[in-house]
Amino acid sequence: MVLKVFRWSPGFRERVQRFWVPAKEGMTVLDALLDAQHRLDPTLAFRYACRVGMCGSCGMVINGRERWACRTVLKSLRSGIVTVRPLYHFPLIRDLVVDLAPLVEQTARVGGAFMAAEGRPAFARVGGDDPERRQIDAAIECIGCGMCMSACTMVANDPRFPGPAALNRLFTLQQDSRDAGHAERTAVMLSEDTLMRCHTQANCTDVCPMGISPTQSILALRRRAVRRLLG
Amino acid sequence: MPKRPRRVLRRRWATTEGWRDTKAGMWAWVVQRGAALGLLLVIVLHLHNPFWRPVQAMLLALVLLHGLLGVRAILLDFGLPVRWHRGLLVLALAAGAAIFAAFWGWRWS
Repeated sequence: MVLKVFRWSPGFRERVQRFWVPAKEGMTVLDALLDAQHRLDPTLAFRYACRVGMCGSCGMVINGRERWACRTVLKSLRSGIVTVRPLYHFPLIRDLVVDLAPLVEQTARVGGAFMAAEGRPAFARVGGDDPERRQIDAAIECIGCGMCMSACTMVANDPRFPGPAALNRLFTLQQDSRDAGHAERTAVMLSEDTLMRCHTQANCTDVCPMGISPTQSILALRRRAVRRLLG
Repeated sequence: MPKRPRRVLRRRWATTEGWRDTKAGMWAWVVQRGAALGLLLVIVLHLHNPFWRPVQAMLLALVLLHGLLGVRAILLDFGLPVRWHRGLLVLALAAGAAIFAAFWGWRWS
């Protein structure tokens, strides 16, 4: 099979390099990239760590869709030519490696850190069947892979839009009764570049490898904001 | 501290790669906005000649498309699970086609 890989490094023009890789049963895109790197071009740069779909380091755009390379079996793509590009909307470092700092920066900018309420413990034992916990159960599984930000068209168009991951994080905090930052975050969320900027295209939901729906979290925050405005 | 590289890739909408694997929710959004732009044009044509059948048909089709996709968005806003969004798109398109066909059979055939 043919791997068409985006190549770029600072000071050079971008290009697409083709690698012929012998496809084997069960081979993943990460396996194919490693094979190309070992046999054909050791300068090919990409990021990975756990190799088993836990860390999210190997998030890339594979055949037009954000996926983790280690869990994408070549056969499942049903294509003799596989196109691999780096995640969109993040500063490029080299080839398929991007700088994920904007994800962290945007989350911090909109108040994505827990703020312990006075007199309440910052750390508490919360049972799995706690109603508050159950509301955010799915949303807390974010691994920070950045695929939702890459898939989001609004991130591309509005640099002040914090993106799906940050807003999903805010949803988990706004549901937490131990947190003291609700009012402060609400003010941020009601600004024109935040909650209302989401166009509900659900691209983030479709690509999230953890099955999280940031769209659902954003819509829940919107309903909460509307209820608050209506008293 | 080293300066961070600022080259950022975006989907290029004028390329096939930019549209590759476009998801259902994105299509719903594009079609609804496209229908709104189409309506602006068709309403002008309709005002010019209200009894021209092709324009009447186009007007009805675009109103149904824009309106039903709007209802889909409102249902999601009001708390229907987002995992239903693809099904809601299919439902909106099917309902639009059915209403259009029914209206055509009733008034124009």
